[in-house]
Amino acid sequence: MNYNTDTSNERTLMSDGTGKTHSRNGLGAWLLSATLLVAISSIPSMASAQMAEGFAEGSHPAPPPAEQIEAGKRVYYTKCVWCHGVEGAGDGPGADRLWPRPRNFNGGTFKIRHTASGQLPLIDVDLFQTVTHGLPGSAMPSWEGILTEEQRKDVLAFVTTELVKDRSWQDKEFEEFHVLQLDKLQPKPATPESILRGSELIVEKKCIECHGLEGRGDGNAFNLKDDWGFSIQPADWHKCWNFRGSRQDPYNVKNIFRTFSTGINGTPMPSFADNATIDERWDIANYVNHLCERSKDVNINGGKITEETVKALMEAQPLPIDPLTDKPKINFVVPSKFVEGELPTDEHDERWNLVERKIVAMGGQITHKPRNFVNRIDDVWVRSLYNENNIAFMFQWDDRSKSVQKDDVDWEPYEVNLQDYGVEEQAPGGSKFEEDPFHPESIAAKQNQYQVFNDGIAFQFPIKWQELPAPRKPRYFWGDEGFHVDITKWTADGNLKAYEGSGWDVDLEDRDDFTEQLKLVKSEWKDGRWTVIISRPLKGDYEYDTYIEKGKYIPINFFAWDGHNGDVGRKNAVSAFYYLVLEPPIPKETYIYPTLAAIGLVIVEGWVLTRRANRRKGKS
Amino acid sequence: MTWLKLVEGYMPMQMVSELAFCILLFAACNFMLKRAGMGLPKFWAGIFVWGFVNLFYLKYRIYPPIPFSVRAIYGTVSACGVFMWVSGSQAEWEEFKRPIINVLDAKTGLTKAVRTLMLILLPIGLWGFAYNSFLPSFEEPIELRTVHPAPPATTKVHGKTYVLQVAQNPFRINLDGKYDQAYSNAHIVDQSMGRLMKDVKSAEDNPWDPNAKGYIKHVREGGEIFFQNCHFCHGDNLNGRGLWAFAFNPIPANFTDAGTIAQLQETFVFWRVAKGGIGLPGEGFPWASVMPPWEQHLTVDEIWKVIMFEYWHTGYYPRTWE
Repeated sequence: MNYNTDTSNERTLMSDGTGKTHSRNGLGAWLLSATLLVAISSIPSMASAQMAEGFAEGSHPAPPPAEQIEAGKRVYYTKCVWCHGVEGAGDGPGADRLWPRPRNFNGGTFKIRHTASGQLPLIDVDLFQTVTHGLPGSAMPSWEGILTEEQRKDVLAFVTTELVKDRSWQDKEFEEFHVLQLDKLQPKPATPESILRGSELIVEKKCIECHGLEGRGDGNAFNLKDDWGFSIQPADWHKCWNFRGSRQDPYNVKNIFRTFSTGINGTPMPSFADNATIDERWDIANYVNHLCERSKDVNINGGKITEETVKALMEAQPLPIDPLTDKPKINFVVPSKFVEGELPTDEHDERWNLVERKIVAMGGQITHKPRNFVNRIDDVWVRSLYNENNIAFMFQWDDRSKSVQKDDVDWEPYEVNLQDYGVEEQAPGGSKFEEDPFHPESIAAKQNQYQVFNDGIAFQFPIKWQELPAPRKPRYFWGDEGFHVDITKWTADGNLKAYEGSGWDVDLEDRDDFTEQLKLVKSEWKDGRWTVIISRPLKGDYEYDTYIEKGKYIPINFFAWDGHNGDVGRKNAVSAFYYLVLEPPIPKETYIYPTLAAIGLVIVEGWVLTRRANRRKGKS
Repeated sequence: MTWLKLVEGYMPMQMVSELAFCILLFAACNFMLKRAGMGLPKFWAGIFVWGFVNLFYLKYRIYPPIPFSVRAIYGTVSACGVFMWVSGSQAEWEEFKRPIINVLDAKTGLTKAVRTLMLILLPIGLWGFAYNSFLPSFEEPIELRTVHPAPPATTKVHGKTYVLQVAQNPFRINLDGKYDQAYSNAHIVDQSMGRLMKDVKSAEDNPWDPNAKGYIKHVREGGEIFFQNCHFCHGDNLNGRGLWAFAFNPIPANFTDAGTIAQLQETFVFWRVAKGGIGLPGEGFPWASVMPPWEQHLTVDEIWKVIMFEYWHTGYYPRTWE
């Protein structure tokens, strides 16, 4: 456990709440008395706390009626107990394989609130919205449409009375509610000046220390712990759909303003209500909001924002969000465009803008052991260009850490059955909070303590895809016996290799001849993002290397490894099958046939009119 | 836009009833207007109904969007319907085609202008439409996969062969320890909104009751396995919207949909869970499914328990032979 987290901005009561949680769950009695002492001494400081700008005094809610608590219990033990546990300590059967871990309700520490740092949340606003909209980027789903509004309120009545054990919403002596008046505050328009000012303020207010120069969460990425001692990571501002507080409305600047104003209880994210004016907070929120990925990739240049950058950020449109998943919409086609001459040699080449960049969604590899229950890479942006002989892919993905393997390993790069060498998946854990309050075996506790392997990216095509009867494909995971795949794999130690795959548990086969023809154009990790450009011949040996032809749908899927997540071999992130399409130039028929059809229609029109006129003449 | 939820494609009853409601509403309005002497001409009424159904409702109200080829079929069918409606009697048919004839004859200044405009716009429109359809476009191809492929007669899991027609879930037992589907059916969750357990105070209904035993205790054990293994894709509410659902294609099965486990025998589910995507026959696209062959991760008992949990939690009965 860890009490040394950077919680300087949070009031003393905050750490008391969590301190009591620990003691209740098995720490020594001395800790209990110690925390009580601190709690008593902190009362005056709470009472005299100044209310920050934009906040107003809230009231203590009335306790819920007993029937409502009983109704909520029925909801809780059907739906919530599986992750949050019988006593609400965030230690249900599912907890050990989740990162972030499910919330421990006992101490009354809740992340997303309208109330000042360290205070309890508003039940009917904050907690109700959390249950309604879920917490994106975690396993907490949206319960709207599943539970009625009444059922959602019932379960909150149960959780806030029976499972929050150390604090009470009715406790007028210890609890205060300083409520951010978000509805009354007019958002400051996102003008270029406001965004530019925001980009300066995030340096001044030291946001970059954790969130990184470009806001990809790559600052102090390894040392952050929550109040329970579990590793956590700073938010990646480029993925606003993963913000816990995004409330199914990720590009809404108000959500950022709220989190920034009230902080995230239980984590090192402080409230900035006291040391940033409302105006400054809107500037920062506007800047952070514009960093979230949009239709165009804008070069943030290590946070050195110019007026041109701001202009580009403002021109780009928010990505369409899929209402079924609350993530960017996925389209399973990766287009590649033709360019004359040499393929680009770096990511700033203007010709990359010829082709739309595609987001490839990644999930953890959970089909075969060792399964990857936490994939720290959840999307990869892909662009592709081709010329007469070669095709280039540019992969860009956010990774908070550059991971290059330093320790020697026993296995060869082509080997896949690494569990023989002790690479294992996370054990399921279970309900054992009583004996083991700190869950040292959970993913959340083990994060950042894994042996570091290489970051990596790979993609595969079917070999001889021309002979596959549609829609037959080789198996998504390194092919199968009948249909082999052509794998191109790059690892952060600088290796770029071609393999042949014939099944998930069969060692890959080196294709040395083709490896020589692969070209690593660029690989760079900068400010929390990898940029890797790979070029390969369109055609190699038909028997072993995929023939990439124009105008055809060629199945392709992707793999990514985050070395600091202990990703190696089969422990990786995978995508579904996409189709690579080399878009050919527009053929002449596209212009000829429509013109013929239009001329035909003019003739038909003439004929109809003449006929009608003749008939009328005949009648009269 | 959270106040108006889009109709999900797998809810055909909602779609049909909404459409029926809209058309009835339109018919009622039209009737009232007619009574008031301001009835909409047949020609425009027909076009309006067709346009509402095909250009608005089916295009924008349904999510995920219906592919154009399917909408084209609906468009043709509804055009036939509208045509039958406007040509119900000779008089109605005359009324319907009158505006067309008027424009063709162009006796007034207005109809002359309309005719000229149509004569120019129609070829241009056709050119644009044809150009668009000839332009090489690389949309996602539609691949229709068989959701419930034919099961084999037997399946071998962990060295033991199970005959799908006669195998039984060994944990579907009553308090006396006997296989009892009627007992377990009586203790699944309520089918009303939320699908909650029937009685939180009863050790026969609440899997988390310390005194739970037999069927309901096995449900809890199955739930523990589900939330350690399955929810990543199938979701906390078993609706196929897990953490990674957005990354995969086909998307994970939605067990709360009446078309999945509710349609199947428990042994079919056992075969699917044990063998996973890789064990599917060709029509089920085994190459694309990330469904793990759970025999690699779970024991036979654990598989039976997790299946029982899925039925309990969704409130469905497994299909049986009688």
